[in-house]
Amino acid sequence: MVRAFLIVLVLAAIGCTQGGAGTDPAATVLVFKHGKLSSDGTVLSGLLREFEQRRPGVLVREELLPASSDGQHQYYAMNLDGGKAPFDLLAVDTIWVQEFARAGWIAPLDDLLPQAERDEFFPGPIMAATLDHKLYAVPWYVDAGVLYYRRDLLDRHGIAPPTTWPELVHAARVILDAEQDPDLAGFVWQGKQYEGLICVALEVIRSNGTDLWTGDRNRAETSLRFLRETISVHGITPLSTSMADEESTRRIFGDGRALFMRNWPYAWSLLEREGSPVRGKIGMAPLPSFPGYAGAPVLGGWLLAIPQHSPRQEAASELIRFLTSPEAQRRMAIALGYNPTRRALYAEIPLVETRPVLKDLYPILLKARPRPVTPYYLLLSQSAQPEVSAFVVGRKTASEILEAVRRQAERLVLNHALPFAEERL
Amino acid sequence: MTPPRFTGTEGPTGLLRLSERGWGYLLAAPAFVLVGLLALAPIMAALWLSLHRRLPIFGVDEFVGAWNYLQLWSDDRFWAACRTTLYFTGLSVTAELLLGFGLAILLDSLTGGRDRSPRWAQVMIILPWAVPTVVSAQIWAWLYQPEYGLLNYLLLQAGVIDARIDWLADPDWAIHAAVVMDVWKTTPFAALLLLAGLKSVPQELYAAARVDGAGAWQRFRRITLPLLMPIVVIVLVFRTMDAVRVFDAVFVLTGGGPGNTTETLSIYAYKTLFQTLQFGYGSALATAIFVIVAALSSLYVLLLRRHLRESL
Repeated sequence: MVRAFLIVLVLAAIGCTQGGAGTDPAATVLVFKHGKLSSDGTVLSGLLREFEQRRPGVLVREELLPASSDGQHQYYAMNLDGGKAPFDLLAVDTIWVQEFARAGWIAPLDDLLPQAERDEFFPGPIMAATLDHKLYAVPWYVDAGVLYYRRDLLDRHGIAPPTTWPELVHAARVILDAEQDPDLAGFVWQGKQYEGLICVALEVIRSNGTDLWTGDRNRAETSLRFLRETISVHGITPLSTSMADEESTRRIFGDGRALFMRNWPYAWSLLEREGSPVRGKIGMAPLPSFPGYAGAPVLGGWLLAIPQHSPRQEAASELIRFLTSPEAQRRMAIALGYNPTRRALYAEIPLVETRPVLKDLYPILLKARPRPVTPYYLLLSQSAQPEVSAFVVGRKTASEILEAVRRQAERLVLNHALPFAEERL
Repeated sequence: MTPPRFTGTEGPTGLLRLSERGWGYLLAAPAFVLVGLLALAPIMAALWLSLHRRLPIFGVDEFVGAWNYLQLWSDDRFWAACRTTLYFTGLSVTAELLLGFGLAILLDSLTGGRDRSPRWAQVMIILPWAVPTVVSAQIWAWLYQPEYGLLNYLLLQAGVIDARIDWLADPDWAIHAAVVMDVWKTTPFAALLLLAGLKSVPQELYAAARVDGAGAWQRFRRITLPLLMPIVVIVLVFRTMDAVRVFDAVFVLTGGGPGNTTETLSIYAYKTLFQTLQFGYGSALATAIFVIVAALSSLYVLLLRRHLRESL
């Protein structure tokens, strides 16, 4: 205790002596662009101030981007394309790294994270950040699709969390029939025409041993039909799900109006916080699969990268090393609920005791598979979104949209006359 | 006494010895340059870009002539977006004009007396237009929410519907939900312009018509409508231009879904330009929007000219 106090005192003293650095014209100023973090922004600022103290002469200026990831993508595309980006460090979504790397917008970071150290991270994000054997971004925090369920309701009816999709339908039907609550929905997921819908569709299709753009078509059709039938046949999913994004499903589930929800782990802290109607009544499980296949959570999360032409690459690399260090990740996990990208942290007893959900998440994150790791991903996803959405609302059949999605992917390749690594899809 | 004509011949040097027309051009030049820089240059740049295949991700930047436009011609998604945009425009502009007219007449009849309340009515009516579109779209998204949204609640209470309607998730309703929001938001604009027009109609004309025994409908049909025609065309031009380019209202409500049923041209162009970074093709889409707006606007102006010629 006394020692901790002394350390704080010393740190404070260093902080005071460094106070003048802000006016020092010789100081290196790193501009760090990132989207607004979902909760308390002071945690990250605290980390950055600490970095400044460790690295005298370097100042970090945070510049926030809009919370919507589309807005951030647009900002990065416009500013990185010119070659003179007004920032030295940026937070990128897993699905952008290939694109930015292929465009030559972000610098390779192989020296920053040697091969041996990469194995300490989850494999998914490292795969998403690697293009032609070079690493372009360092995983900062990681996400994967998970199934939330109402533990209290499942317990009341003596039902275990489902491991297959038919089990989920059955559980939802049984409980909905018994509860007779018109406001209770069975299973909510992200069905709006946007990136989230592609994640859900991929998870359902991949959990039947195939894929959206490649692989066995019949099994892909079967899995897609399951998604539509949750609305049209089983009646466990309200039609409004076809306009739902992460936040609206989180609110429905958080108000106690849904039994199951597919979402990202970020929702956990919000659902479990003080005053939440479902606090203490929920559980988290791996996403179900079709019988005979494994569940297939989609990988999400953010990474840190450096613009190709930043003149302050060295200082920026140090900041990345600091922000992705076990220490910084531990603090972000405790204070913000952001899941560390370093696997070893999930075995740390104090951390897991503070956030027990990490124990459930570990096997899911380990298994999480990225969306197609290719610079074309946004083109692929963008052309598939209207099709899958049209299917979800019953405007097109599963075979029609699979035909269209796969034809578009082929045309994309022909049009751009670029090598298309099919096995990477 | 006629004012002295400025001929420019009194200039001290030969350089300034210009004709009246020459002086005119010289003095107007800054304005021309400004318009050129602000309006013409970006349009030309977009046009130029649309003749290229430009994909920064793949380092592709080549001149392809009309290739993008040929692609556009065979792009089903483009034609679907055209249909959606024109449907949205037709419905919303018609409704805005009719409702705007009604509101304008109502406000005009209110402002006749000495009462101060009409001012408040005017302020109240203009409010929706003053709210930023993104904000009002978000408000409407909540109103449309099927389970706890106000709209379903009111309609259920009033017995108009007997089951909740999923306004935004239902592919048949979604585009109409967007139209209603747009009408709510921009009718005040139409009403305000038309009100200004109504105020400028000389009262003597109405008095004379009354003396001749014309009824309310005849006065409206024979006096108000013809005199307001130029304003109506202005409203149509402004509203049509905005409706064809509609982006934020629909994007916030639906993002173009479900199943692309609400994807307007601007949303398609936005997704092409900024989400998939196809700068050349996106510019071709933007040019298509420009052409449609220009065509509709010139149609209106043509109609106005003909109307003016006939009424003279």
